[in-house]
Amino acid sequence: MSQEWNIVVCVKQVPDADDVSIDPDTGTLNRSDAEAVLNQPDYNAVESALQLREAVGGTVTAVTMGPPFATAVLQEAVALGADDGVLLTDRAFGGSDTWPTSLALAAIAEELDADVVICGEESTDSSTGQVPPGIAAHNDWSQLTYVEELEPNPEEDELIAVRDIEGGHEKVAASLPVVVAVGFGLNEPRIAGLHRKIYAENEFEPQEYSASDLGIEESVGLAASPTSVGGMATADPVERKREMVEDVETLFEELESTGAI
Amino acid sequence: MPGEVDTEDYADVWVFIEQHDGEAAKVSWELLAKGRELADEKGERLVALVMGDSVTHLAEEAIERGADEVLVAEDPIFEPYLPGPYGEQFRYLVEERHPDVVLIGGSHTGRDFAGRVAVPTYAGLTADCTELDIEPDTGLLLAKRPTFGGDAMATIKCVEHRPQMATVRPGVFDAAQPDPDREGTITEVEVVVDESHQRSRMIERVVGDITDITDANVVVAGGYGTEGDFGPVEDLAAALGGEVAATREAVEEGWIEAARQVGQTGKTVKPDLYIACGISGAIQHLEGMNDSKTIVAINDDPNAPIFDDADYGIVGDLFEICPALTELIEQKRGETA
Ligand SMILES: Cc1cc2nc3c(=O)[nH]c(=O)nc-3n(C[C@H](O)[C@H](O)[C@H](O)COP(=O)(O)OP(=O)(O)OC[C@H]3O[C@@H](n4cnc5c(N)ncnc54)[C@H](O)[C@@H]3O)c2cc1C
Ligand SMILES: Cc1cc2nc3c(=O)[nH]c(=O)nc-3n(C[C@H](O)[C@H](O)[C@H](O)COP(=O)(O)OP(=O)(O)OC[C@H]3O[C@@H](n4cnc5c(N)ncnc54)[C@H](O)[C@@H]3O)c2cc1C
Repeated sequence: MSQEWNIVVCVKQVPDADDVSIDPDTGTLNRSDAEAVLNQPDYNAVESALQLREAVGGTVTAVTMGPPFATAVLQEAVALGADDGVLLTDRAFGGSDTWPTSLALAAIAEELDADVVICGEESTDSSTGQVPPGIAAHNDWSQLTYVEELEPNPEEDELIAVRDIEGGHEKVAASLPVVVAVGFGLNEPRIAGLHRKIYAENEFEPQEYSASDLGIEESVGLAASPTSVGGMATADPVERKREMVEDVETLFEELESTGAI
Repeated sequence: MPGEVDTEDYADVWVFIEQHDGEAAKVSWELLAKGRELADEKGERLVALVMGDSVTHLAEEAIERGADEVLVAEDPIFEPYLPGPYGEQFRYLVEERHPDVVLIGGSHTGRDFAGRVAVPTYAGLTADCTELDIEPDTGLLLAKRPTFGGDAMATIKCVEHRPQMATVRPGVFDAAQPDPDREGTITEVEVVVDESHQRSRMIERVVGDITDITDANVVVAGGYGTEGDFGPVEDLAAALGGEVAATREAVEEGWIEAARQVGQTGKTVKPDLYIACGISGAIQHLEGMNDSKTIVAINDDPNAPIFDDADYGIVGDLFEICPALTELIEQKRGETA
């Protein structure tokens, strides 16, 4: 028989894209003055989680791994309707690449006895899209990525998804527990209600977990990360002519004379 | 440190040949071309990996296109693709054979399964690369990828773990051409998975025409400014013998199929001519078309950022400009014919 589902939604805090700048002299990224916001694709994840809860019953718990001020994205998720929020915060997590990041999220999903973990398609800062399949792999759960439609099938303890693939789509049923990465833009995220917002900002306190609470302190952070960022450069700007033309005839002549057409 | 290995035990460059129903995804041949270069530079072998139901023809083709050896895992369980069986079989092969570098196409299928494989093998996995090099002194893979929506290029290394894995964006490298005289070995490997690895089941798989916009010499792209009417964009593309493309906005509205999306979460194109119609020029879009030779922007807003990244800009209504340009092109064609 079907039961109510424990739904975990992973939300990441990212620098506001419009505020990130690159120091042209050093080639380093200046994100310090960028305001931290909820990763845009994760709004779709939260919305999907809330819709699932409406369909099958259960709870939605928002989870983020980040510095203490990442609480702000949990507040946002709670304001939107999540029942609770969990902050994974610990110096030990610092410098984690996708391997330990997905380990930490997998560990908390296990701890919360999740039936479904919902993530965004990718983050807007490092955008690997590797965390959701990583969570599934760590826990040996099923996975559904690039999801365009999601439909619960509680009778069979499974989740049915339409996945976007090259030139078409797949309809796949995955057994619980399952990790889902929803396609960016698959739904219209709701607006937070005023009461909920007030609650989230004034009363809500996240549950906090450190790496040792989860028993993974040896397996996270920079040292446990197989990849490292070896350098960062501004993307080579392509020189463009930036010629504004007055009319279609001139455009046509320009293109013809340069051999573009 | 956890997962650290003796890197000396790892050799060869592997390329995963993504296939569905016996048909290879083009990105696989692109990776064979790049993989060949990397293997030669490292003085190692290029090994292709094919999983599927009847796939021997692809193994032969992989040799013609540059592989020294092809590992074939043939079993009905590998058709259609599901992450469970693919991930498990791949894990087994990596642990058994110790590849140094593994390249996987950055399609939705490739990225679905690469993320899964990297965890049990404790591999370093770099996502969605657009450049791959070998570091001269160390022989390490330098995997370069756009980040922060394309504002920066990050170089990712994997120093102490193996394999060094990367997913690579489709359309970035030119496909390897077949040479029927090339020789190589085909090795049937043991299939180690069964139904217990599935955890999910395919209900249906619908694939229409797999449009490939990455090969076109001319791309005419429409954005939100088309308001759903791609007619003028299609006509202009037809007149130029090019392909139609779009922004994510247009794809999300359902105006055009996702296979034609250009940008960070779509395709990379680098045609001789790219015409952007009713497209504002968001960084995530620019990332997919910035290597085009000539860029033309048609937009009714003189302040649209796309004009900064165009060779020629024209301010005006695309519903007037596109048809007028189409007509001029057809006229010229009439004269020269
Ligand atoms: C420039 C740069 C490039 C990088 N490239 C790589 C690389 O190629 N390979 C690699 O292994 N690491 C890389 N990293 C490290 C990587 O950014 C971090 O591991 C990051 O914490 C998670 O990766 P992501 O943002 O790409 O997640 P994605 O996989 O893109 O995120 C998908 C979803 O997972 C969830 N999620 C991700 N992170 C969190 C979190 N902290 N808390 C809650 N939910 C989360 C969200 O739902 C999100 O929408 C890079 C870092 C930088 C700065
Ligand atoms: C994680 C992430 C990934 C993304 N990936 C991609 C991606 O891969 N590809 C992509 O394209 N986007 C991507 N985006 C979205 C991107 O940020 C922009 O929202 C999108 O590119 C805008 O599309 P657009 O230019 O069609 O629409 P808009 O920004 O709405 O621009 C429409 C333009 O049309 C002009 N216009 C309107 N009417 C007319 C007319 N009659 N004639 C001429 N001009 C007219 C307007 O002046 C305007 O400039 C991504 C975003 C995120 C956060």
